[in-house]
Amino acid sequence: MKKECIAMLLAGGQGSRLYVLTGEMAKPAVPFGGKYRIIDFPLSNCTNSGIDTVGVLTQYRPLELNSYIGSGQPWDLDGSDGGVHILPPYQGSKGGTWYKGTANAIYQNIGFIDLYDPEYVVILSGDHIYKMDYSDMVARHKAANAACTISVMEVPWAEASRFGIMAVNGDDMITEFAEKPKEPKSNLASMGIYVFSWKALRKYLTEDEADPNSENDFGKNVIPAMLNNGERMAAYRFAGYWKDVGTLESLWDANMDMLSPESGLDLSDESWPIYARSVNAPPTFLGSGSHVTHSAFNRGSDIEGAVENSVLSPNVVVGAGARVSYSVLLPGTVVDSGAVVEYAILGEGCRIGKDCHVGGTPESAEGGKWGLTVLAPHCQVTDGRQVAPGTMLDRNGEEVSK
Amino acid sequence: MNGLHGIIFSYEKRNDLRELSEIRSSASIPFGGRYRMVDFALSNLVNAGVTDVGVVLHGRYQSMVDHLGTGKVWDLSRKRGGLRILPPFNYQKDWGTMPFRGKLEALAGVRTYLDTIRQDYVALMEGDLVANLPLADIYEDHVKSSADITVVCGNDSFATADGTYFEKNAEGRVTEVLYNLNTPRGYRGLEVYILSTKLLKELVDECHAKDQFSWRRDVLRAKKDTLNLRTYIWEGFAAQVRSVQEYYDRSMQLLDPAIRAELFTAQRPIRAKGADKASTYVGSNGRCVNSLVAEGCRIEGTVENSVLFPGVVVEAGAVVRNSVLFKETVVSANSQLAYVIADKDVIVQQGRSLMGHATYPIVIAKGSVV
Repeated sequence: MKKECIAMLLAGGQGSRLYVLTGEMAKPAVPFGGKYRIIDFPLSNCTNSGIDTVGVLTQYRPLELNSYIGSGQPWDLDGSDGGVHILPPYQGSKGGTWYKGTANAIYQNIGFIDLYDPEYVVILSGDHIYKMDYSDMVARHKAANAACTISVMEVPWAEASRFGIMAVNGDDMITEFAEKPKEPKSNLASMGIYVFSWKALRKYLTEDEADPNSENDFGKNVIPAMLNNGERMAAYRFAGYWKDVGTLESLWDANMDMLSPESGLDLSDESWPIYARSVNAPPTFLGSGSHVTHSAFNRGSDIEGAVENSVLSPNVVVGAGARVSYSVLLPGTVVDSGAVVEYAILGEGCRIGKDCHVGGTPESAEGGKWGLTVLAPHCQVTDGRQVAPGTMLDRNGEEVSK
Repeated sequence: MNGLHGIIFSYEKRNDLRELSEIRSSASIPFGGRYRMVDFALSNLVNAGVTDVGVVLHGRYQSMVDHLGTGKVWDLSRKRGGLRILPPFNYQKDWGTMPFRGKLEALAGVRTYLDTIRQDYVALMEGDLVANLPLADIYEDHVKSSADITVVCGNDSFATADGTYFEKNAEGRVTEVLYNLNTPRGYRGLEVYILSTKLLKELVDECHAKDQFSWRRDVLRAKKDTLNLRTYIWEGFAAQVRSVQEYYDRSMQLLDPAIRAELFTAQRPIRAKGADKASTYVGSNGRCVNSLVAEGCRIEGTVENSVLFPGVVVEAGAVVRNSVLFKETVVSANSQLAYVIADKDVIVQQGRSLMGHATYPIVIAKGSVV
């Protein structure tokens, strides 16, 4: 059945800069904001934008992600025509390969895209927190009669050299693309969200695959090739909240941003809901001695202690006399009575024993060696243990380096 | 087919529930911060492995039908069996305009449905029971025993509106069936019965032929000596919510961790529809203690000893004490609520103050602006 537009979501990356958090799951499956997984954002954006067919390209540790996506029902992506499809690498009669790069992942699924014979394909990443109407971007793509449209946002000039930078002309058509330029010609950074006319993309993917020297990557190979060939490349300006949560710091930042709608990340806006596969648990109970301020929590938690400036996922326990501040607690973590958790990300199912002290404030660090404290899922911290700021523990409670 | 089938009754009009039941049947009254009453009966059944459930409805059932949907939440959206919504389609003559006079009449009203039941046993339940029963065990006990009907009772004589009470002998057999008692005695019936499908159909047909409609009078009391009625005593929490006062008291009991642990035991989760809302946020000057709070709330004021459903807003300076606030209630700045049950979408405007009492909670009807 022909579709005007379908989306392909790149969700195969390991997310190695999230270290222990992605030890057993792909980055898009990492919990976020007390309720969501990162992948809820692109999936919800698709459904809110009227895109009902989404291919999700998985490769690294897909178990968690596959079971989370399931039939796609939480995002209304379980229609009889289209819906969400998990697309892992596969074997053919002449063998098969892993996805070698972002472009190769799409190349290997040309057959899937051809099933829907779309005019346009939206390429998305599974590691960004943002709300975007892709239909508006596709409209820009059509109006510009472009072969490719890249969403861009203005970044501070001082930071421009950390991004893929687009130079544009007066019509916001892209004239030049530079990956992490030393002397940026513009401050328009690529957000890694592309709309392609499928005919054009199909041709460039095939050519790219035939080039043995190519890294088969959109940013490094396909986009520059299209630009060099004089294809019409449009920029689509985006001004809302957007964050790449590929690092522990940015993941923590984005969680904190959620607490302050002034940051631009307002998840309670019902005109653009972010859907999630929610856990079934009773409401959260805040005990008589609890003290919760400037914090968010979801279902199934039991809070007897103090929680400030923190984001709690479902089924978290904070015991009496415990204190959690400036931290992100992933589902099912337990902070026993008297323990203190500061500036930390605790993975799913962690347990912090009585009177432990995990992490610390930036002021408390010795010799400027401060950092977030991060615990792998299911890490058990024995009673009374001190875990210094900036430390990372694996699931056995042993220190690992970042 | 061996197995248990569920039938849930949701047709009683309970006047003591006042505004709460004006717009809905009691089975679809919100309870416990994120549930509807009927979620408990449905979850009890599903957790006992029941795959086919019929819900008997009569009047004001839009809210109920809306809530049940396809039954997906309880895994009851199935190719065979699953959830059946049963309005009185076999009702004869002019009956359809009147509410059912009793369970037997309700079952006669869906008589052809009874013939489609695939399972050998049926559990009858009321939609207003809030409990987490080990129904699989009760069913197993019933099959092992030689009982004709298993009658599930609470281990108390708590005075519930329109309650049925049972006396039993040392073997657990029912010796007396009591109702309309001024001072309740015996064991409080939870209106949960297990019997064979065959016996159920015989009883429905026999009573229908004699224009008998009352299950407790025409079956339980009339046949207690000829049928083996066996009691199963449930020691745990069990509420039959039939008045505003009971609604309020039972809601406040949920603030007790021991009762929550019993009602929300992880072995038998109570399933409910999700609300697609973000997390709840408590502001820098917010204070929320001894309260059960669902998702999607924004609390900038003070909340104590209360139950908050999804999407409740308590603005700065507002104080909510000993109250139950349904979905999307807005308590504006500097207003005060105490001993109040606010139905969905109520707006309490700035500076207003409403005080009920523990023995007389105030109900604010759905969508009211105070």
